[in-house]
Amino acid sequence: MAAHTDTSATADASTGASSAGTTATPGSTRTRSILATRPLLGWRTVDILTIAFLGAALGIAFWGWGVFYNGPLSAITFGFAPLGGLFAGPWFLAGVVGGLVVRRPGAALFCEVVAALVSMIPGTEWGATTLVSGIVQGLGTEIAFALLGYRAFGIAAAMLAGALAGPFAAAYESFTWIQDWSLAWKVAYAGVLALSGAVVAGAGGWLLTRALAVAGALGAFPPGQEHRETRAV
Amino acid sequence: MAGVAPVAPPVTVGHVILDAVTWRPFGRREPVLHDVSLALEPGERVLLVGPSGSGKSTLLRAIAGLLETADAGELAGSVTIDGHAPGTRAGEVGLVLQEPGAGVVASTVGRDVAFGLENVSVPRADMPAAVAAALGAVGLAKPGDTPTSALSGGETQRLALAGALALRPSVLLLDEPTAMLDPGHAAQVRRSVEGALTAYPITAVVVEHVLGPWVDLVDRLLVLDDDGTLVADGPVHKVLRDERARLLDMGIWVPGAPPPAPLAPAALAAAPQSSRTQEVTATPMVIDRTVRLVDGSTRTRTAATLDVPLTPLPTSATALVGPSGSGKSTVLLALAGALDPVQGSVTVGETPVADLSTTELASRVGWVPQWSSSTLVGRTVLDEVLVASRALGEESPERVTLAHALLADLGLGHLEGADPRELSGGEQRRLAIASAVLHRPPLLLADEPTVGQDRHTWAAVVGLLAAYREAGGAVVVSTHDAALIDRAHTVVELDAPPAAPIEEEPRRVLAAQAGPLALLLGALVAIPAGIIPGHWHTSLGVLAVQALLAVVALWSGPGRGPRPTGRAKRVLVRMLPGLLGALSVGWSTWLLGGHDTTTAVTAALRVLIIVLPSAVLLPLVDPDRLGDHLAQRLGMPSRPVVALAAALQRVHTFGEVWSEISLARRVRGLGIDRRRPVALVRDLATVTFGLLVRTLRMAADLAVAMDARGFATASRRTWFAAAPWGRADTLVTLGALVPVLAAVLLT
Repeated sequence: MAAHTDTSATADASTGASSAGTTATPGSTRTRSILATRPLLGWRTVDILTIAFLGAALGIAFWGWGVFYNGPLSAITFGFAPLGGLFAGPWFLAGVVGGLVVRRPGAALFCEVVAALVSMIPGTEWGATTLVSGIVQGLGTEIAFALLGYRAFGIAAAMLAGALAGPFAAAYESFTWIQDWSLAWKVAYAGVLALSGAVVAGAGGWLLTRALAVAGALGAFPPGQEHRETRAV
Repeated sequence: MAGVAPVAPPVTVGHVILDAVTWRPFGRREPVLHDVSLALEPGERVLLVGPSGSGKSTLLRAIAGLLETADAGELAGSVTIDGHAPGTRAGEVGLVLQEPGAGVVASTVGRDVAFGLENVSVPRADMPAAVAAALGAVGLAKPGDTPTSALSGGETQRLALAGALALRPSVLLLDEPTAMLDPGHAAQVRRSVEGALTAYPITAVVVEHVLGPWVDLVDRLLVLDDDGTLVADGPVHKVLRDERARLLDMGIWVPGAPPPAPLAPAALAAAPQSSRTQEVTATPMVIDRTVRLVDGSTRTRTAATLDVPLTPLPTSATALVGPSGSGKSTVLLALAGALDPVQGSVTVGETPVADLSTTELASRVGWVPQWSSSTLVGRTVLDEVLVASRALGEESPERVTLAHALLADLGLGHLEGADPRELSGGEQRRLAIASAVLHRPPLLLADEPTVGQDRHTWAAVVGLLAAYREAGGAVVVSTHDAALIDRAHTVVELDAPPAAPIEEEPRRVLAAQAGPLALLLGALVAIPAGIIPGHWHTSLGVLAVQALLAVVALWSGPGRGPRPTGRAKRVLVRMLPGLLGALSVGWSTWLLGGHDTTTAVTAALRVLIIVLPSAVLLPLVDPDRLGDHLAQRLGMPSRPVVALAAALQRVHTFGEVWSEISLARRVRGLGIDRRRPVALVRDLATVTFGLLVRTLRMAADLAVAMDARGFATASRRTWFAAAPWGRADTLVTLGALVPVLAAVLLT
């Protein structure tokens, strides 16, 4: 099963740190993505429910990741926040996967917000601000897909979407958690978040979506169709 | 609209015409439905049969106009109901799905029945009468506020029926409504269907593969064959008589025909005797199961009581029987070491089964889960069968040869190279059986191994179980299948554990009188309260105000009942991550903000100010009411809000799915290894992935059920429950503003 693992993805993140700026740009997508049925805003019931359920399941996963992030990981990174930021990518995953699966305007934002909401209710480190973070990060991801006109859903698009959540998250946190950092560190932090977002949420989310399609779970969605077509050749 | 209509009006609607319908899902070479033409008269009752995989469910979805709801494909021909496309009127075609609970939308019975009414904008005042009439028609006498999760499988199916009837459909479609129920509950559901069709005489189509009990309820029988072609159609008794040989040949359970003789499998007979010995034994035991609710709290109930010791001896067959909800699956889970009994024990020698390592367990126990689709591991069917053998390091050419033979015995030989996820439910179950026995564990635990099998595959499965036993294995099955029970040496009857005594609900705390929006708002207002203070002196003042308000908010409210307990502890537990967060933020600020202690302490206190109200207020948010408030108070779009509410009320089932997937992996030697962190992360990721796959299936099924109840067009809808803004809401909001005010004043 090709489920992505956070260890391998974050290992990539630390080795590929120098290419942060370039990996995020949407390169020429060689194979064209299959798009959602028209009208683009004509959400089918299965679209809405899939986003809600994906968000809820990922929200539970977020909560689990939060426990790890807050405890063992803080100890490993010695509470050094910019380093911890390397591990923030998983938080942006729901938006990327939601956008990649349904491919309609609002899918990324909706999925990320549901995930944030579900992870917030059992109680997290950040309380109700989890919801605000979800909205802000989801917006970043959504804007990336919007910039591409909801036409590109390859790995490059996914990485851009994951990366863009980073600066949005950093901008919001600079009002709350990291208010007193020097500007240089804030900018560096935004870069680290973007890198982690591009690799873990972007590439990881793209792999996860593909694995779900291979597992036959996305039959009603464009990624499922893409999978069928690769097999048909 | 009161109760059941006294005189049935003449039926004039529900005229269904299919004209040359062909449907090929993308990714399939052959169509699932092949040029199907038929006409159903208003009020006609039809039974639809065919071998598994013949497209019966697909035909129902075609009649309902829902083929493209959760699947993509190519559709030719036309379907009309009373001259127009199906679903032109919301709820015109009612649909009940096979899996109980697959179509449950809401957390209470009344609300669930009202779902369709909401979608067609019935005024709220008219809903209770319509709901009561529909529940009356199916004989489900439950108060409207009964939680849907407290219903049995049979009751859940009747709830689905009531939900469909509430919309006054002109056609009712039932997709194997009793396939997953025990005989008692199945009979209840059939009586409900009969009663409902008397009260609402509408066109009805029932899909079932066990025909006997339905024959007297229907007028007409349709038969689909393997390639989705309609091959017989006529009055039910005539078709049964004329086509008996063909129906038996298709493997259909024709009434009156005795169960087929089990097939002797070639594979196990030729295999060498297993060298392992059966050692798992169980004392009488009581097993609890705990459900974790979305707000983080847990509910524990007794799920099964085993009154006799269980020592499955080699060559013995034991059947666990009892009504749904009596804990058959739970006992199997305990035997496999997935649940620890609160009384009694399951051991291998002196060791509890739960303490065995994943490979030790795999070499002793084979397990066939009730839901095998989300526990698949292999890329191909052959891979899947070999999983445990590989994990145990026993893969050999002989083992692979045996795997080929075993798959052939179970009618899966032609699918060896296929992706196991694309098999039908019945095929997946047979694959799970093959996967559980190939490595010859001395004990086989099989949860409903014969469900969904036709006569041919039934004979193969039962024959395989017999051969496995004769070769020295011990078999324990949970089953409702009378023919299978007849073959057991020991039958253990389980009784449903008594319902826990209803404890008096403790009084609610003061803040819990407020609705979800006020509570959320109260938690969010803490952000400015945290940001405004520029010095830790101010922060401490604000924090003191907040602590005072927290005491008020958690004060026990008016009313009777015991005082709520553990309030302070709950807040502290929830603050623990926040405290860590404060430390981390303070430390980072000191490091990156110029080594200034004052700033660092202020930053740390900011975290506490922001998080404290969340720790107090968020646990009080009722997820079931959240949707109502978001839509009616904030005017958020209805359909996403309803979807969110539906997902929230399923979140508590995710834990169960998770543990089932984990167990399936553990029993096959792929369990989580806590000693190796890398493997641990990989295992966690894989199990999460399985959960996602299952979640997506839930969403797809629910989409079909919801569209059958008019959800597709429900962008403007009414709401069963009001979302008032009360005095408590205002008070919580005002109270939450006090720390902000304090912050401004103190600064």
